[in-house]
Amino acid sequence: MAANDSRAGLEAVFLENRERLRRFLVARGAGDAADDLLQEVWLKIAQRESGRLAGPIAAPLSYLFRTADLLMIDRYRSVRQAERRERAWTDTHDGTTPGVSDAPSVERHLIGREHARLVAETLDALGARPAAIFRRHRVDGIAQRLLAQEFGVSLSTIESDLRRAYAALAQLKERLDEA
Amino acid sequence: MAHDEAIRDAAAAWAVRTGDPQFEDWDAFTAWLAADPAHARAYDAVALAVADAADVLPAISLPANDAVRPGWTRRRWLGGALAASLVAVVALGVWNGRGGTYTVETAPGETRVIALADGGQIALGGGSRLVLDRRDSRLASLERGQALFTIEHDPSAPFRLTVGEDTLVDVGTVFDVTHSAAGMALAVSEGAVVFNPDKQNVQVDPGQRLTSASGSDRYEVGLIPLAEVGEWQRGRLTFRDAPLVQVASDLSRATGVAFVVAPRAAERSVSGSLVLDRVKADPRTVGALLGVTIRHTGEAWEIGAG
Repeated sequence: MAANDSRAGLEAVFLENRERLRRFLVARGAGDAADDLLQEVWLKIAQRESGRLAGPIAAPLSYLFRTADLLMIDRYRSVRQAERRERAWTDTHDGTTPGVSDAPSVERHLIGREHARLVAETLDALGARPAAIFRRHRVDGIAQRLLAQEFGVSLSTIESDLRRAYAALAQLKERLDEA
Repeated sequence: MAHDEAIRDAAAAWAVRTGDPQFEDWDAFTAWLAADPAHARAYDAVALAVADAADVLPAISLPANDAVRPGWTRRRWLGGALAASLVAVVALGVWNGRGGTYTVETAPGETRVIALADGGQIALGGGSRLVLDRRDSRLASLERGQALFTIEHDPSAPFRLTVGEDTLVDVGTVFDVTHSAAGMALAVSEGAVVFNPDKQNVQVDPGQRLTSASGSDRYEVGLIPLAEVGEWQRGRLTFRDAPLVQVASDLSRATGVAFVVAPRAAERSVSGSLVLDRVKADPRTVGALLGVTIRHTGEAWEIGAG
């Protein structure tokens, strides 16, 4: 019964706020795909229920916006991957060994480890606390309010440490993409 | 340039706010995005950079944690448990134990790839728990669940894996191990693995699968198509004459959806191959594909003998 209520609740909130979500997706860069993405958000709600991942949702509207936001990040990720594959294909075919395509998996693996090392260095360069706070928040999934208690600092200090970490990682990514 | 940096900093500030489960001000965020298309692009770039960084970090961040401060590991893990219960998102747990070991754990339905210091890697399936030794990357223990090991072979330092009371020693490269209450199963796709070198001393070759029940010295060796070794990592599970109790346990671990077996049906065997994403989207598909009945009870999906 409770599950049915929460589902009805989430779907009702979706229908009431459809236009608001749509505006968000358009502003978020979805363009013509905004309606398709709205549909995907709707499907995710339905899946969530049939998949029994569900417990009651404290803030249904936020849940919907967050779902939409994550869909946009996934979409951006796959566009970037497609671009990279295309570039890799071009590089391979410009090279002197046509027909030899992918790098061996060990080499790809090393690239991943190299990336991990650069990320760790970038964070460590900001200091021990911002690096530790970033890991706690993004790797362990601890909420910012709880981190303020854990580290004995104010919430605004947590936010400012994370902002510095995010900006530094975005810069690192730009550098890596150019290389 | 300065303008781009200002946008990036603003995007980072929004990403910090939206990334917290308690964020609610989506209208203000929409207004900021709508003000300039460059804002959404910058936000995407920050969000992806941060998500990717968080994905690669666990593989190498572990040794550094000790340096942060004493008592850290314990708080880490208590805090993690607390947050998981609050937001109902069970994140992957990595925490440090006694004597240089650390544990990597996945929630049901989650998978994780762990890079080893010597270049090997371990893909950990859902609902699994693996203990590694920071001082010796050639030692590991699969406490429960399933993992696909890709090990760099080194004759001078063989890779040793303990699984319950059994020991596996690699003579080669790629093998998959499942550890459940019922026992263990080992399938090899490349190289070779030796089962309990100090006891039965059985070499398992590519295309072979060895099973051994808990608390027993007996074992059985059967055949498995190479493509099926570690196929869970590619989103598929195949059962061959598998008892329903194993089907329910493997499916729950791999999908994060709870499956149980109807009373008295546990020993009934079935065969079939399932695409995990479809099972996640609609657990009823299990019924048709394995020729069993499936119904939703209060807590879980119950598989019956049909």
